[in-house]
Amino acid sequence: MSEEDEVTRMVILGPAAQVSQSQVVGELHMLELPLTIKSTCYGAVVHGKEEDVMKAIQEIRKLDPANIFTKDRGFPPGDPRRCRAKRGGAREGFHQLEKEFELLGYVGEALEWPEPVILKKHSKISPEEFKKIAEECEP
Amino acid sequence: MKIAIFPPNSLILADLVERKGHEPLVLQKEIRKKVTDPEIDSPPFNITEDEPIKGLKYAAIEVPSGVRGRMAIFGPLIEEAEAAIIMEDAPFGFGCIGCARTNELCMFVLRKQGIPVLELHYPETREETMEVVNQINTFLDNLESEDKEGGD
Repeated sequence: MSEEDEVTRMVILGPAAQVSQSQVVGELHMLELPLTIKSTCYGAVVHGKEEDVMKAIQEIRKLDPANIFTKDRGFPPGDPRRCRAKRGGAREGFHQLEKEFELLGYVGEALEWPEPVILKKHSKISPEEFKKIAEECEP
Repeated sequence: MKIAIFPPNSLILADLVERKGHEPLVLQKEIRKKVTDPEIDSPPFNITEDEPIKGLKYAAIEVPSGVRGRMAIFGPLIEEAEAAIIMEDAPFGFGCIGCARTNELCMFVLRKQGIPVLELHYPETREETMEVVNQINTFLDNLESEDKEGGD
């Protein structure tokens, strides 16, 4: 199997997740798939053949569908170009993950209790209407 | 369907698209090709002189090579897209999407593709987040039904 056929996925637990990182890693190991599994502060990193990784992701989502999130990762786990152990400091992409993590609780909530919404389509306004608005805004 | 997302490395967008059974066109897939390619012998300098040349398809020669280099990676993703979700005003320096001009160009190219586009603002509060998630799910559901109608 060449390196190019392999994919890496991050499993991220939302703040309201009912499972812990170690439980996720344990479950991933129990699947007995040929994968590299790494436990991390946000969840786990799974690396291997695409079909095995996707199967693992589908299974692991079942633990807590609304609070387990996954994302592709370009670099394989422990890659010296990205691994904190080699280069020090936060890994690239960590700050983004940190920022998005702040919203994951609300995302999970919205997934659990979906509400119907109407998608607004913005239409163009006529020049007359625009002129009227511009005049109203003039001091 | 293949859905382009912007920011192309967004966890929330990619996850929501995948949950609905669509394929998110994420940046990481393109980056993976760059970092695992055995021909590139001196990583992390994964952007070779070829990239700014490829980027000429999307931006003029006067445009900085950084923009063209980035467009060489984003451009093929945008071209593959059958629909797009754009989240504007993402926090500054959102991951590797730190180039404002490339972001503008990407959004422009996405809008010009003539594909269904959902435009949102990056949510800051609980209410905004829930609204955004519901909007994305509705948009994706509508795409599914449109796709089925088109198929019949």
